[in-house]
Amino acid sequence: MPDPILSVRDLKVDFRTEDGVVHAVAGVSYDLYPGEVLGIIGESGSGKSVSVMSVLGLIPNAIVSGQAVFKGRDLLAMSSNDLRKLRGGEAAMIFQDPMTSLNPVLKIGDQISEAVLTHNPDVSDDEARARTIALLELVGVPFAERRYDQYPHEFSGGMRQRAMIAMAIANSPSVLIADEPTTALDVTIQAQIVEVMKTAQRETHAATILITHDLGLIAELADRVVVMYAGSAVEVGDVYTIFDSPRHPYTVGLMNSLARLEGDQEWLQPIPGQPPSLINLPPGCPFHPRCTLSQGRARCRTEMPPLRQVGEGPPHLSACHFAEELAGETPYVNVGAPSSS
Amino acid sequence: MLVAASFFVFTFVTVSGDPLAALTITPNVSPETVNRIREEKHLDEPVFIRYGYWVKDALTNQFGTKLLSNEPILPDLWRVMKNTLQLVIAAEIIALLLGVAIGVYSALRQYSPFDHAATSFSFLGLAMPLFWIALMLQVVFANVYQKTGHSIFPTASLNSVDPGEGLSFWIDRVHHLVLPIFVLMIVNMAGYSRYMRASMLEVVNSDYVRTARAKGLPERVVTMRHAFRNALIPIVTLSALSWGALLGGAVVTETVFSLDGMGLYFVNALLTNDPYPVMAWLMITATMIIVFNLIADILYGVLDPRVRYD
Repeated sequence: MPDPILSVRDLKVDFRTEDGVVHAVAGVSYDLYPGEVLGIIGESGSGKSVSVMSVLGLIPNAIVSGQAVFKGRDLLAMSSNDLRKLRGGEAAMIFQDPMTSLNPVLKIGDQISEAVLTHNPDVSDDEARARTIALLELVGVPFAERRYDQYPHEFSGGMRQRAMIAMAIANSPSVLIADEPTTALDVTIQAQIVEVMKTAQRETHAATILITHDLGLIAELADRVVVMYAGSAVEVGDVYTIFDSPRHPYTVGLMNSLARLEGDQEWLQPIPGQPPSLINLPPGCPFHPRCTLSQGRARCRTEMPPLRQVGEGPPHLSACHFAEELAGETPYVNVGAPSSS
Repeated sequence: MLVAASFFVFTFVTVSGDPLAALTITPNVSPETVNRIREEKHLDEPVFIRYGYWVKDALTNQFGTKLLSNEPILPDLWRVMKNTLQLVIAAEIIALLLGVAIGVYSALRQYSPFDHAATSFSFLGLAMPLFWIALMLQVVFANVYQKTGHSIFPTASLNSVDPGEGLSFWIDRVHHLVLPIFVLMIVNMAGYSRYMRASMLEVVNSDYVRTARAKGLPERVVTMRHAFRNALIPIVTLSALSWGALLGGAVVTETVFSLDGMGLYFVNALLTNDPYPVMAWLMITATMIIVFNLIADILYGVLDPRVRYD
């Protein structure tokens, strides 16, 4: 395997609140390799967005520690000005809600060409305009020439998200971060945006971090998966391994809670209980109060399980003391044949 | 709108009492004289007919004449209107500029000493009655003049006795207007700074400002290009609404500082119980407020493409 383009080590993110310190991310490590799509999955509040956004300095009032080495430079040790030059240039972002993520009083085209101009001071306004129109065409915005001069309220949700993607790939980033890119869109538009994301990735060859709670999206786009729970990574592996033989009870629970097309299923199977408070995490494994595997075993309540290799196959890490007991248990979800991308 | 305003103005002023009541009990005035005036001014006709006469006067005859003289109303009103507009527009512009600047700075440095100071000052400004600030300033500056012999700011009237010509006239005018403008703008400025702070705080935490940061724009561009313009939109609405209060405040301010403006003119008209200048004043004020609202609406379209009328 080549060297990772982004290597995050022991990332901790805290927020000070009136009720106490919230440990949003409690020591997460992950690697992003060139050209791959890394999916980060977890429920709301699991720290999946924060663990990525905080690295780029986009989370205000966050107390961040750890290491995030991007092309040999530690992002967390960088000056805010150097980090700013990186944002939108080599590391670009797509956000969740295209309805609110575009400035309502500026023209769509100007918002995109602004990204071009900021990172390329010697590009003229006309060149930036031409580049923007080419980008809009690339992401499938029809009549791009005319659409350039329109405002966000004249765009539909899907078109806005296309514009957001065009903005993100404007400077051919080497890392593209997509934070729940389809969550705010309705289902038919989601499928289109997935195609646009694939196009964007093909054009830029950017390593992509896909943050989502949509297992289907992960199956569609991701090469490798990080499963997060309560601010920690609980399982890491390539997408087939994770879907075919998950080795963490939380991952198993997530997959079992999905609605399936095949089979006669009257009720969905939710994971029992609530996610823990991030101010007072339970001792030991944070998942043990909800775990089907723990069943009151003392080790789960006292000892925080480390992320360790399970089995002897490809790299597959799980943070469960009893991961091996899940062997042979096949979840319902099938990924299907490997896609060509 | 103006037609409706004119009708209500006329009706309410008319039903508020007989303008000649005071005259009838004045010993030296004979009932014949009172009746002659009553007939001349059509005061004996029904309200609708009188409204017709008044509208005709207003449109063709400079708002008619005063009740007890043949002095036309419009030239006087025109003169005081110019003076009041100088006062009111200057106060509003200064209030807007300072209020917006303070609000933005407070929002960007939330909970800093400056923010706390601005907040306290705003509440003080909102809480103090206009006439009280005006009187206190008069007392202070009059005392300074008495004690030291230096007139830092004049405490009454629009000009010195002999203001000179051209530039020196305007310097003298500005000098006289400093205190009234200060009094009039303080409430609005306090309000604008509060609203601008809240509006800016909301915008700074919005998704599209995060997008602007994610694009790698320098913080200055994020603030001015992306946040400031959006935060300004509610202030325009507020400014449009403030003109009524401003013209009302001008009544108090001009009375205290004895400025020859619309406010003082209105108070004098009320005191002499003459309905014609009162109605003319109300109409002019209504027109001004409509015009200022129109300007605000146009400005609204300039700032916010969503309300543009294509």
